[in-house]
Amino acid sequence: MRGGIVAFLLALTGGLLWGVGAVLAGDTTPATPSGAQPTVTPASVPADQSAEQLTNVPLPFVYTKWRHFTVEDGLPNDHIFAVKVDGPRVWIGTENGLACYDKRTGKMRVWKEEDGLPWRVVTAIDIDRKTGDVWLGLFGGGLARFSGGRFDHYHQLNSGLVNDVVYGVAVENDHVWAATTAGASRLNLKTGQWTIFTEKNAPMEEIWNYAVHYRDGKVHLAVWGSGVLEFDVATERWQVYLDPDREMEIDLYRDDGIIHVITTGANYVDGILWVSSYFGLSRYDGRRWRGFYAHETGMPSDFTNSLRARSGQECYFAHDKGLGVIAHFDSDTYASYTRDQKTLRGKAAVFRSGKKLIELDLEKTIPHNFCICVDVDEKDIWVGTSKGLGWGIGDGYYPGVRENPVWLAEYNQSRQKQDLTAASTPTTTGQ
Amino acid sequence: MEAIYSLTFLVGVLFQSDWIGSGTPDPLRPWLPPFQLSEGMKRVLEEINSVNAYQVPNLPKKREPVYAYTPLDVTPFRHVEPHKRHFLEQMEYWGPGRAIPEPQDLKTVKIGFIGPLVPTVSVAVGGRSHNEERMGIKMLQGAKLAIEEANERGGYVRRGIPFELIVRNDNGLWGSTGNEVIDLAYKEQVWAILGSIDGANTHIAIRVGLKIELPMMSSGDLDPTYIETNIPWVFRCISDDRQQAYLLVDYMYRKLDLKRVAILRSSNRYGRFGVREVVDGSRRLGRPIVVEMAYPVGCQDFSIQLERIEQAKADAVVHWGNAEDGARALNQMRARGMTQPFFACDRCLAPEFVEIAGPNAEGVICASPWNPDRNDPIFLAFKERFRARFNEEPETYAAHAYDGMNMLLWAIQVAGLNRAKIRDVLAYRPEPFVGVTGEIPLSAVNDDAGEVYLAKFVGGKWHYYSRQELGLPPREILVRPPAEQTVQVGPARAVQE
Repeated sequence: MRGGIVAFLLALTGGLLWGVGAVLAGDTTPATPSGAQPTVTPASVPADQSAEQLTNVPLPFVYTKWRHFTVEDGLPNDHIFAVKVDGPRVWIGTENGLACYDKRTGKMRVWKEEDGLPWRVVTAIDIDRKTGDVWLGLFGGGLARFSGGRFDHYHQLNSGLVNDVVYGVAVENDHVWAATTAGASRLNLKTGQWTIFTEKNAPMEEIWNYAVHYRDGKVHLAVWGSGVLEFDVATERWQVYLDPDREMEIDLYRDDGIIHVITTGANYVDGILWVSSYFGLSRYDGRRWRGFYAHETGMPSDFTNSLRARSGQECYFAHDKGLGVIAHFDSDTYASYTRDQKTLRGKAAVFRSGKKLIELDLEKTIPHNFCICVDVDEKDIWVGTSKGLGWGIGDGYYPGVRENPVWLAEYNQSRQKQDLTAASTPTTTGQ
Repeated sequence: MEAIYSLTFLVGVLFQSDWIGSGTPDPLRPWLPPFQLSEGMKRVLEEINSVNAYQVPNLPKKREPVYAYTPLDVTPFRHVEPHKRHFLEQMEYWGPGRAIPEPQDLKTVKIGFIGPLVPTVSVAVGGRSHNEERMGIKMLQGAKLAIEEANERGGYVRRGIPFELIVRNDNGLWGSTGNEVIDLAYKEQVWAILGSIDGANTHIAIRVGLKIELPMMSSGDLDPTYIETNIPWVFRCISDDRQQAYLLVDYMYRKLDLKRVAILRSSNRYGRFGVREVVDGSRRLGRPIVVEMAYPVGCQDFSIQLERIEQAKADAVVHWGNAEDGARALNQMRARGMTQPFFACDRCLAPEFVEIAGPNAEGVICASPWNPDRNDPIFLAFKERFRARFNEEPETYAAHAYDGMNMLLWAIQVAGLNRAKIRDVLAYRPEPFVGVTGEIPLSAVNDDAGEVYLAKFVGGKWHYYSRQELGLPPREILVRPPAEQTVQVGPARAVQE
């Protein structure tokens, strides 16, 4: 009897320890073959939403094919802080190293501190299109140029970099800009001269720069507590965009300016300025502002780590609860990509004017809901998350919205196939 | 067989026990092991321990009807319903951090400290120090005492290894606080950080904390915007300048019916942001500030500022800046024959203020984030221990740092060595933390939502008054529309003359 009790207790304890161990191990996801061809395999669509009924409704492109990359696929670390596409190469900045994925060969190369990378945490990447040099923002390590297999290191003690905590980097013509925690720095690549921008010579109410982006003659700095600063390269003049109500705890009017001064990203494409913050999103066309909140659009969250615009109509947002997309501004159409917490399958949804049009249950979407960075790669997109990198494959991508899109037909076919399979499976219940 | 039986029993007890640590609880230090987890805390712990890297704990979120007890009549744009109100719902952390296993090869459990300890230079004040070292040193004393006491009780009880305080100086020069936080996180691998005092530097620190997912506890930065950043990793265990300003505004206008108040403040972020709610509240109550004058930190001659205040015919002056500056300004005011009431921020509660101001300190009223005059046995016992350890009195920064560090230590004992879970148990703790500064109830944005006080210097001593003792309506009433403000205000204690 006593032995039986002991055995029972041991089994119980063992089970408990196993369970705790599994949780501590941190991953109960079934292993995914890294080289597997992505497929669309929907499981089911909730009964109140019918994919078939949407055939004549204009819909945006939805990424239904995804690949995931983690340390098992060669990444140096799963915590992805930056992703930048450079033709066939995809540069990936992680919490512990730099990686480059070659789409042609499927090979991943990695650089860590022991390989010459000046500091382990890579938070920003940009490419000098003239030279092919890769510029890296290092979180606490300054700035690095990777060229010809060599890392050149710029930091507070050997250059005009204003601070070593670099959040953003952007190449502008013959300059490299760095957004740091204590101002912005600009390096002239021809003269080697550095310029520092702080509250002393730029309209920064605060100096906590978070992101920098260059396009079409304008540099945009997203600054925590100071909204967005626009630097016109030709005139060297600044324009500042602040939240007009100037209150932290409210957004008085949604469309009167940027919705909050604590901004995290700014992209300028097709004459449109897109802005992300921890409180929501904004878009400015030069005359009118428009604010976007999750509760009105269907996007996963207001807390937005960064953004990447594909056009003046389409922009991708890395939220803490998934990937959000303003898929087509003119038709008020949005999309979201999340990972189901229970099934770990992917979910994609399309919304218009606050109404959900469709929700797709997919084998995969983003690798983790905590999205940190995103880049657009012609028809594809790349999403860096807290646990892996996602590649959204844009076969059949189209801008705007379209009736009877191919992805919807494929999804419906796949679903019908699955229904047939389910119907042909003999049931043993209900006797 | 007996040994296996005992081991199994022990393991079972370990998993089922409501207690952290063993021995006899200390009622005067309830945060130290052994302590018992409440039913609510056990549920929090079960939930956060049950999720994997892709899941988020399903825990009820705090929801508040009004942000920071803002009285309705000082609410911004109160006649318009804003499109969106922020900070009313508890922030969540959706990352995978809860699934990171506890490391096995540690010799100590490191906790970071960042505060102003030596005079430094600062970009924000034009190259000169913020003169905050006095507060930073007290803050360090409080943090040290908390660590030492925890180690006397066995350190991190799950492993029996000591806590170790890793100390860094807070320096505004070129944002070096950011570099220090990086160093603490990646090289020292601390589990949480306590700090700092300077608002700008603390903002830099929390931005880094957010990116690298590290709990940050502030016990000395009273800048309201510190917490208004939507960062789920940030906590504060001291009531901020917003709360102090609301009480001061209520007292000046609802109680004293002052009409023309002037502001004299330091020309730095502390002064600029500290008076913001005084300025806004005065305007919204129909008594706009008549003049706001800034002075450089360490100013010796306030004649320009005081002349303007005299010209504005102010009937009271609110000072927001360091104690030494405030005392010099007060002395120069009185020397000019300016007899207006002098109100100040909590920094002027420091002994330096009274020493420099001398008899002019009589009648000065300061806002205070706590009441150190309480006959609370927990606080009184702390005073004794602090005196025994440092041969000095604990003041605001020491006491709050002690509480902030104890909150972190308690969270580590409960959650284990996992940054996300340390964050969780602090954020979801159902009961207010009971520390030496009183109860610390955290709001939806992890801010200390406790009561604040006014202190009046009379007869060589600061006398502290709660809102009720001042005869002012409770905060919970002022947030309601006027028709619903029907509560009786309790009997007021006579304010010392």
